[in-house]
Amino acid sequence: MEDHTYSVSEITRLLKKSIEGNPEFTSVWIKGELSNVTYHSSGHIYFTLKDEQAVLSSAFFKYANKGLSFRLEEGMSVLSLGSFTVYEKRGSYQFIVAQMRLEGIGELLKRIEQLKKKLLNEGALDPARKKVKPFLPRRLGVVTSPTGAAIRDIIKVAMRRFPNIEIVLAPAKVQGADAAVSIIRGIEELNRPVHSIDVIICGRGGGSFEDLLPFNEEAVVRSILASRVPVISAVGHQIDHPLSDDAADYAAPTPSAAAEIAVPMKSELMAEIDYLSIRAQTALSSRMAYLSNMLSGIAGLRCFRNPREIVTMRELSLVDLEQKMTSALKDRVAAGRQRLLALPDLYRLWRTETRGRRSRLDVAWGAVEKLSPRGVLERGYSLATDTRGRIIKSVRTVKPGEAIGVALADGSMGCTVNTIQREVRGGKEDAGKGKTKL
Amino acid sequence: MEKKTPAKGKPSFEKALEELEKIAEKLEDGSLGLEESIAEFERGSRLARYCREKLDEAERRIEILQKGEDGTVEKRAVRVKPDTGEIDDDEDLQGSLL
Repeated sequence: MEDHTYSVSEITRLLKKSIEGNPEFTSVWIKGELSNVTYHSSGHIYFTLKDEQAVLSSAFFKYANKGLSFRLEEGMSVLSLGSFTVYEKRGSYQFIVAQMRLEGIGELLKRIEQLKKKLLNEGALDPARKKVKPFLPRRLGVVTSPTGAAIRDIIKVAMRRFPNIEIVLAPAKVQGADAAVSIIRGIEELNRPVHSIDVIICGRGGGSFEDLLPFNEEAVVRSILASRVPVISAVGHQIDHPLSDDAADYAAPTPSAAAEIAVPMKSELMAEIDYLSIRAQTALSSRMAYLSNMLSGIAGLRCFRNPREIVTMRELSLVDLEQKMTSALKDRVAAGRQRLLALPDLYRLWRTETRGRRSRLDVAWGAVEKLSPRGVLERGYSLATDTRGRIIKSVRTVKPGEAIGVALADGSMGCTVNTIQREVRGGKEDAGKGKTKL
Repeated sequence: MEKKTPAKGKPSFEKALEELEKIAEKLEDGSLGLEESIAEFERGSRLARYCREKLDEAERRIEILQKGEDGTVEKRAVRVKPDTGEIDDDEDLQGSLL
């Protein structure tokens, strides 16, 4: 035994060969708790896996941890798949992790629950601290993955509801080691006043419990709490909601639902404005109608309806007075007449006198009546009239050939003038053929 | 008559809408005098106009932020179909703030 000695390198190389080549130490699953987690700038993660009795220094290189859906934290129980390697220069062996899973989700839930309790005790989740988002956001900020379905859903829903909405996407990783940092970065960026963001939707589509872990991370939760701009948490989930829901000002079960919360329906608002305008208009016009009704009620009072009536009333009383005066006068006249009648002799005298005159009048009237045209016609005379019914008094007003009417006592005739003879007073004068000299 | 013209004081959209509703109610309950009613109505008309303007204020624009080499953040347009909101070109949705 003594005759064979190894150099340090030799033995180390031997150990390395025996460990790295041993199938027992390759592709093994190891259960352990994380401690001394260091995220190196190179992208590699270094940590120690431990249990009650032993520790194991481990490395999770960048190429392997790219697909990791959660961030490693102290005390986390994990299941790691990997192989062993010996680092000769340090004389140490390391577990090189190829894959990692969370072990004991119950443990993790407990941690989330503890974080929630802590936040509650701080009053960070106090409903009074919630910020109120503007009812009508002009610019909507979104923190989510640029490649996922969430952003597409949000854009579609938001534009359907409000066609002229402005959306700014802060691209973020929503799972894996960088997720928390990138979500925080997005929230901070959208809080910069230069973007004038009115409300932020922060989230992702549904995924496994591990996928949603970034939204349970304290740093993310704190950045949501610190946001100046109101935040809507929009993490697709079925049962347990992430802490981001508690921290945010509003929580939605899906990104589409968040877009509905963030953006009102423009068409509905337009309709609401129209409806209120019409209500105001209708109210005003019915008010006017009411007042004008009332006005016409007042105006309907007699004095307004017919101001002349006042005059008429006065006139009426004037007439009344007049009548009284007249009748008073009449009374006096009557009284006077009574007194006159009280002189019977005179009256009788007057009556006899009158009677005598009447009979003489009757005689005279008979004479006059005989002179009337009818009486004359009865005595055999006739009356000539022109076409317009005027009595022809002179031959000078007719011409030969003219149609004239001739009235007799019992009827009339239509005649034509054949010749005209003019009679000069006191002698005869031939009028020739109707040609007369004036 | 006090006048709060929305032009400069700029109430929020929801304040303006709320006030418009109150005006409609006030006009409806008929407790105002005629002159006051007309003044309120005019104010309501102004608010309605203001609300409509507010709704048309935004200009549809979808943008993605991108951190440049020098660390400054820039905005790039994301082209979408105006009727459906679908992304025209997936290439537009590329970017990172890290």
